Amino acid sequence: MPQQDHRDIIEAPGVFVLALIFLAVFIVIWFAHLKWLMDVWGVQ
Amino acid sequence: MAIFRTDALSGLKIDKATENLVRWNVIAALATLAVGGLLGLLVVLTRWPSVHLLPLDYYYRFLTLHGIDALLAWIIFFEIALVHFTSAALLGTRSYVPWLGWLAFALMLAGGAVINVIVLMGGADVMFTSYVPLKGDPLYYLGVILFAVGALLGFIVFFINILLSKRDGGYKRTLPLGAFGMLAASIIAVLTLGHGAAIMVPTWLWSMDLIGTIDPAAYRLVFWGLGHSSQQINVSAMVAVWYMSSAFIIGGKPVNEKLSRTAFVLYILFINVASEHHLLVDPVFSTWHKIVNTSYMMHLAVLASMIHAFAIPASIEVALRKQGHTRGLFEWLKKAPWGNPAFSGMAISILLFGFLGGITGVIFGTEQFNIIRHNTIAITGHFHGTVVAGTTIAFMGFTYLLIQYVFRREIIWKGFATIQPWIYGVGVALLSIGMMSAGSFGVPRRHYDITFSGAPFSFTFDPSIDLFLSMMGVGGVLAVTGGVLYIVLSFGSIIWGKKIEQ
Repeated sequence: MPQQDHRDIIEAPGVFVLALIFLAVFIVIWFAHLKWLMDVWGVQ
Repeated sequence: MAIFRTDALSGLKIDKATENLVRWNVIAALATLAVGGLLGLLVVLTRWPSVHLLPLDYYYRFLTLHGIDALLAWIIFFEIALVHFTSAALLGTRSYVPWLGWLAFALMLAGGAVINVIVLMGGADVMFTSYVPLKGDPLYYLGVILFAVGALLGFIVFFINILLSKRDGGYKRTLPLGAFGMLAASIIAVLTLGHGAAIMVPTWLWSMDLIGTIDPAAYRLVFWGLGHSSQQINVSAMVAVWYMSSAFIIGGKPVNEKLSRTAFVLYILFINVASEHHLLVDPVFSTWHKIVNTSYMMHLAVLASMIHAFAIPASIEVALRKQGHTRGLFEWLKKAPWGNPAFSGMAISILLFGFLGGITGVIFGTEQFNIIRHNTIAITGHFHGTVVAGTTIAFMGFTYLLIQYVFRREIIWKGFATIQPWIYGVGVALLSIGMMSAGSFGVPRRHYDITFSGAPFSFTFDPSIDLFLSMMGVGGVLAVTGGVLYIVLSFGSIIWGKKIEQ
């Protein structure tokens, strides 16, 4: 009897990759924005 | 005479009596958005220091009415249209109590008219929150109560239709997902309007001097059970609209329907308690009380939004791949129907709601961050990212479907319709980012004159706020341009659009 294939299939690989890209962009913007705010507020 | 018709375009079986309720609620929604949007233009041109358009009293008056018309009336009229639409079209059920639907509509219309007249006459410059001890004309509170009772009856019509449709075999085990989402919105609406009654009825009596005092802290707590929870009705209805738009336009089906339904249940259970983020700097409530609601419960509602945020784009990708757009990772994205305003409205709404409204809501809603952002214009930027860039654009996109399915008219000026969601989206994004950036420099929200001219002490903001407030102003003008286009296209299509033959 052939073995059943139990591997998961990513049905929406594009959305998966887009989510990773957005996450990376968000992290960069978030830390840049924090640094900017620390300058604005004069945090040493 | 047949009480149902089969729509030629969508194939939906639609109850004719309910269809009229959908139509009139959409028309009322469009009218209130037109007024609310115009007032929004006057308000933003006043907050833009280079223009500073309105005199003091008109600024607060128009800001009050902008909140009522654009935030409450437009959105709730449209949501009542949506619950009637899901009854008539998704459940394919007849309207069991159409008279109650018309009574609800009449009460909302009367309440909305009373509020507009009283505020314009200067009887209630109390802003959207109407915090006591600010006191407005008793008719203002009566208008709010009439509107809220009407909305409650509208949602009750939906509950009755759902129950009796099940009895008559309209659906088998559970509701279709779009109707399930609208049911979640309706349950949140009942909780919300209950809070509204609990605080607005005593405040109305107080405004007539029948009650001596209303405790301001109790008012604030219960008011936000109405004020913010009404935005949670919007979130749930907006997500239901995303699912329905994906299904109608490209045949999208949720990748895991049970997960999407679970996410709606999370909204019902946890989204209301998160309203307490409005009170994070309020000295009356304990830190434990604030943190358990906004740092724990809120994230269970955020989890629900994250589920939808992946489920809906995934449903779109799967549907477009099934249509043959399978090359590489992103061919489906390139081939998506971006020229269809119903699709682009949905896509822009998902993107802007997530990145402008959602993320900032989570950040500003935590105790530590709230302490430096509270009552700055950053908060105004956040909620324009949710209710305008999110809910309003989603509803605008869905209007283009309703005009074809329910009004049975073709959209006029198709070229303008294609660019309308983009103009509106870019405008609101600029407005929201401008506000949030200016808020980072401490620019207060609601304030008429941030230069404090004539005050005994001067305060100077960082000069960069001029750039951000100009961005807000330009964005506001652009958004209103997109809004005017939407109103003209919608009314124009309803009146002059070519009839779609059945």
